Amino acid sequence: MFERFAGSTREAVRVSAEEASRRGDRRIGTDHLLLGLLHDSDSAGALGVSLDAARTKADVLDRKALESIGIDLGGYLPQPRLRARFRAQSFTSGAREVITRTLVLTTGEKARRITPRHLALALLERQQPDPAAELLTELGVDRDDAQRRLTGA
Amino acid sequence: MVTDGLLTQIRSTDPASGLRAAGALRRLADLVEATHVEIARQQGWSWEQIGDALGVSRQSVHAKYGK
Repeated sequence: MFERFAGSTREAVRVSAEEASRRGDRRIGTDHLLLGLLHDSDSAGALGVSLDAARTKADVLDRKALESIGIDLGGYLPQPRLRARFRAQSFTSGAREVITRTLVLTTGEKARRITPRHLALALLERQQPDPAAELLTELGVDRDDAQRRLTGA
Repeated sequence: MVTDGLLTQIRSTDPASGLRAAGALRRLADLVEATHVEIARQQGWSWEQIGDALGVSRQSVHAKYGK
């Protein structure tokens, strides 16, 4: 599945598994792929957002969702040093679609390697309801702008 | 405590928020558990006592948090 991935793209996918574990999710979702991609400074620059901002917004979305069902955490934020030991390993169906899309975008450009740029473009295509789409909206990313920057169009 | 008002609110929330809230609650529960397992260990609780408090076996809590 990952044969044509450039080293930096593999790295983005590897750290997205860490982002999933960090958030306490068992599967790697499109939102984690986005967080993983933002570890790459070129990609973060092209999207105009930082990793820290994206992590913060993911927490903000959680809080808003909890408030929508009447749960207000106030200032409560548990931060254990001791971590449950599990690693997110499998992908959500949305994340698998993104991975497939990166290959399609790459072959469309007649490029050999799947680069972080292809991953960024595949994530920008996501439509709500989708965790990455939701996070991009919360971050205020202008998708058309970002897409133009990434394709040089 | 879950009140009738809260249950009504849960039912009327749109699914995108509601499903995300369910995920957020699970993540929160895991964090609360990890935080208090750590505190209990510092205070000398055995894995057995922690397992009993969580309603799970000593083995499962040790496998999750033990070294």
